[in-house]
Amino acid sequence: MAREKSWQDALPLTDLLKADATPVTLGTREIAIFDTSDGITAAYARCTHGAANLCDGYFNGTHIECPLHQGLFDARTGAANAAPARVPLRMIEARVQGEMIQLFL
Amino acid sequence: MTREVLTPVTQALRDGTITRAELKALMQRSNTPAFIHLSIWIAALCATSALIALTYNTLWIWPAMFIHGVILVHHFSLQHECCHYTVFKTRWLNDVVGNICGFIIMLPNRHFRYEHCDHHTHTQVHGDDPELIPLPKTLAGYFWYLSSIPYWRNKFTELFLHTRGHLTDQEKHFVPKEEHVTIIWEARIMLMLYTTIIAICALTNWWAPIWFWWLSVVLGEPVMRFIRMTEHVGKPCIREMTENTRTNYVMRHMQFLSWNMNYHAEHHYASSVPYYALPKLHEKIKHVIEVEPRGYVGAHIDILRQLTGRSTRADALEQASNGA
Repeated sequence: MAREKSWQDALPLTDLLKADATPVTLGTREIAIFDTSDGITAAYARCTHGAANLCDGYFNGTHIECPLHQGLFDARTGAANAAPARVPLRMIEARVQGEMIQLFL
Repeated sequence: MTREVLTPVTQALRDGTITRAELKALMQRSNTPAFIHLSIWIAALCATSALIALTYNTLWIWPAMFIHGVILVHHFSLQHECCHYTVFKTRWLNDVVGNICGFIIMLPNRHFRYEHCDHHTHTQVHGDDPELIPLPKTLAGYFWYLSSIPYWRNKFTELFLHTRGHLTDQEKHFVPKEEHVTIIWEARIMLMLYTTIIAICALTNWWAPIWFWWLSVVLGEPVMRFIRMTEHVGKPCIREMTENTRTNYVMRHMQFLSWNMNYHAEHHYASSVPYYALPKLHEKIKHVIEVEPRGYVGAHIDILRQLTGRSTRADALEQASNGA
């Protein structure tokens, strides 16, 4: 039976890299938490094209660029905005509770 | 695709070669360095064009065209950077300039972008790296490659093949199916534009594009082949980034022409770092990469020593490590 999703502590707010992508590992899941200009968002960290870790790429506050091939994703929605990326990122619901960033996993 | 891929930059972060803060600082983008660089670039092109104009109807036009051609073929370096989106902060400017460069040197930009993605994924891996230049077997093979004849043969074959609506099996490997039509129309538009220019030349008896553009590119291309060989040729055909790529120390004017692409190992380490920050990245990681202090000439001495049997061929080491 599939496990029920619940809010899980992911990262203390103080550890969030300002205006950048912060890598977080929860169990075996590699997650990117983005400090976007529209708020905190989260997605599975691997590029849907070449599987590089997106946290190591260039982030401009709204879009994350893959460090390997420079494909582009909207970090707020997960949309794949530029080749070679075509498949959107899997986003994860995120919220701030007190001093903790939580993810709905 | 969600399997773990350990990119060189992720490896460098894990190893502590560079910190995340340092990497992110180096990745910051700006339009200003590229606008300054491009202004000098265009001035240099105007100067070498003037040389051709001044030497028209004399034998001096040939060295003038060669010098002009050396700059023209370096549009490859600019296009290469544009295809990584590391020239301009404004992303679409990279697409526009990349396409213009591709038109100048007959290298369709979208096709090159996809091909180059696979080059970065599979650098120096036989059968997977579509840009791999094999270490020549003989001196004749070395000079044959430098002549650029095989290069142009491949480029014209590609262009005509795409124009007819075909891609090779290797191309189908790196170009997603949805993009085949883009590649085909890119080639058709390019060929149509070239044909239009030739028709205008024939109708008006105005042949300047031959002298100021195409013939100059052909004369300059061996220099670009010479430079391209220094990036990976003679290095082992293995995945280890610390061994399969060379950084070359070159004179400042060559560094300017190549848009810092002589820092090639740094570029492969972190291809999102803009071209103007590569010298700073070099200072951070120079102790873990292959650096050729004698520059392009040194790299060719290394290649020539290998293919004349005065040092061990890199591909022999590779075969030995594979148990062949």
